[in-house]
Amino acid sequence: MFRFILITLIALLTVAVAYAIGRPAGEQQVQATISAVESLGAGDPEGFARAFEPRPFSFPADHGPHPEFRSEWWYYTGNLETTDGRHFGYQLTIFRSALSAEPALRGSNWATNQVYMAHFALSDVATGRFSSFERISRGAQGLAGAQAEPFRVWIEDWSVEGAGPAALPMRIRADAGEVAIDLVLESDKPLVLQGDRGLSRKGPEPGNASYYYSLTRMPTTGSIRSDEDTLQVSGLSWMDREWSTSALGEDLLGWDWFALQLVDGREVMYYQLRRRDGQIDPFSSGVLVGANGTPRPLSHADVQLEVLAFWQSPHSHTRYPARWRLRIPAENLDLVITPYLADQELHVSVRYWEGAVGISNADSAAPAGSGYVELVGYDDQPSADQ
Amino acid sequence: MSRILWRSSLRHLLRHPWQIGLSILGIALGVAVVISIDLANQSAQRAFELSTETIAGRATHQITGGSAGVPEELYVQLRVEAGVRPIAPIVEGDVAAPAYPGRAFHILGVDPFAEGPFRSYLTGLEADDGGLVLLLTHPNTALLSSETAAQLGLRAGDSIEIRVGTARRSLLLAGLLHPADEISRRALESLIITDIATAQELFDTPGRLSRIDLIIPEGSAGDALLEQVRALLPAGVELERAAARSQAIEQMTRAFSLNLMALSLLALIVGIFLIYNTMTFSVIQRRTLIGTLRALGVTRREIFTLVLSEALIIGLIGTGAGLLLGIMLGRGMVRLVTQTINDLYFVLSLQELTIAPLVLLKGLLLGLGATLVAALVPAFEATSTPPRAVLTRSTIESRLRWLVPRAALGGVLLALAATVMLLVPSKSLWLGFGALWALLFGFALLTPAATVLLMRLLRPVMGRLFGVLGRMSARGVVVALSRTAIAIAALMIAVSVTVGVGIMIGSFRQTVVRWLDSSLQADVYVSPPSLVSSRSDAPLDPALVQRLSTAPGVKSASTYRGIIVNSPYGPTQLIALELDNPRRDAECDAAACHTSAFTFKEGEPQEIWPAFFEAGAAIISEPYAYRHNLHAGSRIRLGTDRGEREFSVAGVFYDYGSDQGVVMISRQTYEQLWDDRAISSLVIYAEEGVDVDALVESLRVLAGPEHDVLIRSNKALREASLEVFDRTFAITAVLRLLATLVAFVGVLSALMALQLERARELGVLRANGLTPRQVWGLVTSQTGLMGLVAGLLSIPVGIVMALVLIYIINKRSFGWTLQMELSPGILLQALLLALLAAILAGIYPAIKMARTSPALALREE
Repeated sequence: MFRFILITLIALLTVAVAYAIGRPAGEQQVQATISAVESLGAGDPEGFARAFEPRPFSFPADHGPHPEFRSEWWYYTGNLETTDGRHFGYQLTIFRSALSAEPALRGSNWATNQVYMAHFALSDVATGRFSSFERISRGAQGLAGAQAEPFRVWIEDWSVEGAGPAALPMRIRADAGEVAIDLVLESDKPLVLQGDRGLSRKGPEPGNASYYYSLTRMPTTGSIRSDEDTLQVSGLSWMDREWSTSALGEDLLGWDWFALQLVDGREVMYYQLRRRDGQIDPFSSGVLVGANGTPRPLSHADVQLEVLAFWQSPHSHTRYPARWRLRIPAENLDLVITPYLADQELHVSVRYWEGAVGISNADSAAPAGSGYVELVGYDDQPSADQ
Repeated sequence: MSRILWRSSLRHLLRHPWQIGLSILGIALGVAVVISIDLANQSAQRAFELSTETIAGRATHQITGGSAGVPEELYVQLRVEAGVRPIAPIVEGDVAAPAYPGRAFHILGVDPFAEGPFRSYLTGLEADDGGLVLLLTHPNTALLSSETAAQLGLRAGDSIEIRVGTARRSLLLAGLLHPADEISRRALESLIITDIATAQELFDTPGRLSRIDLIIPEGSAGDALLEQVRALLPAGVELERAAARSQAIEQMTRAFSLNLMALSLLALIVGIFLIYNTMTFSVIQRRTLIGTLRALGVTRREIFTLVLSEALIIGLIGTGAGLLLGIMLGRGMVRLVTQTINDLYFVLSLQELTIAPLVLLKGLLLGLGATLVAALVPAFEATSTPPRAVLTRSTIESRLRWLVPRAALGGVLLALAATVMLLVPSKSLWLGFGALWALLFGFALLTPAATVLLMRLLRPVMGRLFGVLGRMSARGVVVALSRTAIAIAALMIAVSVTVGVGIMIGSFRQTVVRWLDSSLQADVYVSPPSLVSSRSDAPLDPALVQRLSTAPGVKSASTYRGIIVNSPYGPTQLIALELDNPRRDAECDAAACHTSAFTFKEGEPQEIWPAFFEAGAAIISEPYAYRHNLHAGSRIRLGTDRGEREFSVAGVFYDYGSDQGVVMISRQTYEQLWDDRAISSLVIYAEEGVDVDALVESLRVLAGPEHDVLIRSNKALREASLEVFDRTFAITAVLRLLATLVAFVGVLSALMALQLERARELGVLRANGLTPRQVWGLVTSQTGLMGLVAGLLSIPVGIVMALVLIYIINKRSFGWTLQMELSPGILLQALLLALLAAILAGIYPAIKMARTSPALALREE
């Protein structure tokens, strides 16, 4: 999975703006404008650790934070169903972002150079409702933080907790008032180290890379609250863990990321990096995890991705791809990917689309599984009617 | 109405430019004074509202704490465990900027991640090179608005020197905020925004918050949430409406603003007399003309309209000029008002005048209204008499003589009514001012009668001194009573205002001097530099306190600790007093010396002190007692760190330091109920034979350059206190001066007109052999006589006014008991002022009369 530091950093600054926009007009308010949003984005990597080469992973330590890197995330997505087949998708992501390489020596408990942000989204397919929420907090005073032993990452009362060296089972809790989740995640397969033994390169420049591992098949049970209903659900979740320092290359516009869990016991992760010139970056890559847990790396050349339909957001007027055909000829895979809900655009400080998708075989149209797709960087291409 | 009428009116006005010009000036001055005070008050209020709005943002409720604020764990508990949102922590305080004298700043320490719903101005950040990162990650970093930075000549990346308590700090400007609009610009004017961690470090309050802001919805859900929050609050921590707090603070200055307003209205009242005088005069001058017009068939209505229109035009021009003048004057006034607020109440930074259109409209209506009211009587006068009677001059004088006793009766009745109003046991300031104005009008109505009486007494004296001419001038005053009476009344009112206000200020000052003499008994006073002169709550460094109180030459040292606590009466200033006397000696032990610094209004010292030091009783200052209807033996409740506690009031002491009043308890009681151990100020008694100035010097050396503390001798503190006093009364003194100026102009115009109008009469006298010198003598002695009468009458009226100001208005406004002090200087000044104005007014007409050939003067117009 590929979530860039840019997201967290821009979000930091824009969150206040989002609030200001949401306020009723006419009210006399003390307000001013942002003149330099990106100032934080283009941070100097000086002083931070970089991902230059593969490293040995050790657990539970690596489940915990790596504050010497600029950014890090704990990413959970999943498709869940009630016994009578009511389908839900959920996403809970906690981002960590270091504002400086070294924490200054300070006299106040509030002082920190670590900032946490979380996105929580729930797709209720039956009612067609998609809800998204955001929290940002400093990593001080116990308001937000992460630790390896026992494993815990949290922002206020949204948290993921685990026990033991593998931190399994993991318990995810997030309550945003109208919707809430309380889930327990096991794992059917061992950890998958992405890229080259966990070093996932994003560009030609050395150090433009992250450390990245995933748990691709996590049987999940628990409860979901949507509106007034509290429902028992079960299904599969996916966890991505990634930390890095360097930012996205200048020529990249955005990315499309796919995490597909197939009914035949295999999983596919694939991301494609879209360049400003309209080309797909050759560093786009992925992995195919066999039913027995053996990963097979996928390069850009191994995967054919075709957009079949588009959807235009009524909120942002951004036009997103909304249906795909994904082929991996070497694995004899030919899949059609369709969002469970068209509108799974997150209304948080950074606008992006991330949602639950259904998978079917291109030939037989038979259901082949579920997954999650993330689409970032489409708002730079405003549609014609805007 | 025919154009002829208008033209005649215009002719008349143009032929008396002095008269018209001066009355326009009078109205302009009156309106200007009212407007300037109103603008200054409004600006101060607006600045205060803006600063509280800025600081409170959209918070509906606030959680505030006792001596040391709110524990920060409470915030985490409320936010994370109880899930109360939106919620934001604040660490704040006032700081001085020594490099920019006269400017104080409010440091607002916020958690930017919790700020969004509360204060949106944080979004206007020009954070070049990672300014926001710098703000969050580095100590001693801050944000300023770009406007303020430009005013101070600072740019992002520069440093600003501030003084926090006694410590000097340097803050790096991590970035600049760009306000989006005028309101935001004003709001950010004196704010320094820092990260909450930085603010905690600056104020040295680790683990504590100044307050927690909440947005709680109205209705039952909100009420339930409030209950939930309240249940979690530790003792000494309170939840209250955000507005309640700022209202309580704003309330502090209400009496002050009202007093200024009322005093400024006095200037307008003098102005009203002036216009009344002018209009009456212009009607009387034209009686023949009006009579002729009436006889020719011009209707009463037309005459009435004509007179009122003339007044309206004069009023319009005068008021217009007054508005402009008021705005100019307001720029000065606002500085004085802000200064006083800063000296007495709270830190208010105000850089410019807010010109509120509503205030200008009010001024316009007031000016025109006053003019019309003043012109009504003469207009009515001009139309009510039958044309034939109008043509004869003597009728009006005889009618007036008929009026004199009736006016006097009215005056007596009005004065009686005022007295009744004053006797009503009430704390209403408006009632007090109402009575004051009724008294003034009453006295004004009595003036004609008093003038007649005085002239009767003076005539023989004048005759003996100056012969026939002397008698003539005395009689002239009475003969022309229709014109002289009003002029005398206007002069009398104006002069009495200066007498009354002068006596009040003098008495106040004398009272404060006496109080300082009795209460400042120690030799050396040590305190942190304070932003608000009337209180000091910044703590002194404990090590410094130790060092100073054990220094050689120090016999004993007592400590004060001042904090603001919550109470059912609102925020209350509490002082904890400790009398440390390790080396008692027989002569004067510090306790005895020190406790004798208090003079009690209620309670016996022998009983008060044991109760105070041993039984945990409180003593309260007179204004506090007055404001809240408390007496010795009452019980008061105060919010302590252990929750709300009750204290018995052992005594009420005189104190002129704070008009809000203070509650004092012993240090021992304080330490039992509050966790705070800081000391705000130190009072040092020198050893026998130690030179105090030398001791002050050695203590200063001991304090070292790193502490910005004030170490002052008794004498220096006394002088500094009086300086503050004089500064706070500067605006009152200015008002007094302005009222005097209006009076002066009024008298000048009234008397000059009167004399100019006598051209014919004087021409006759000249033709009969009076030398120019004698004419000069006649004119000046007559105006001088009128000045004398006004001056004489103004003395008792001024004294009565002073009595009302001191015993009613001041008491009701501030709760202080003042000793009335009659200084002969002020009375003499009044007499001189009246005489001078009157004699000056006589100069021009006298010169003119003396120069004009009698033949010319005799020619009919």
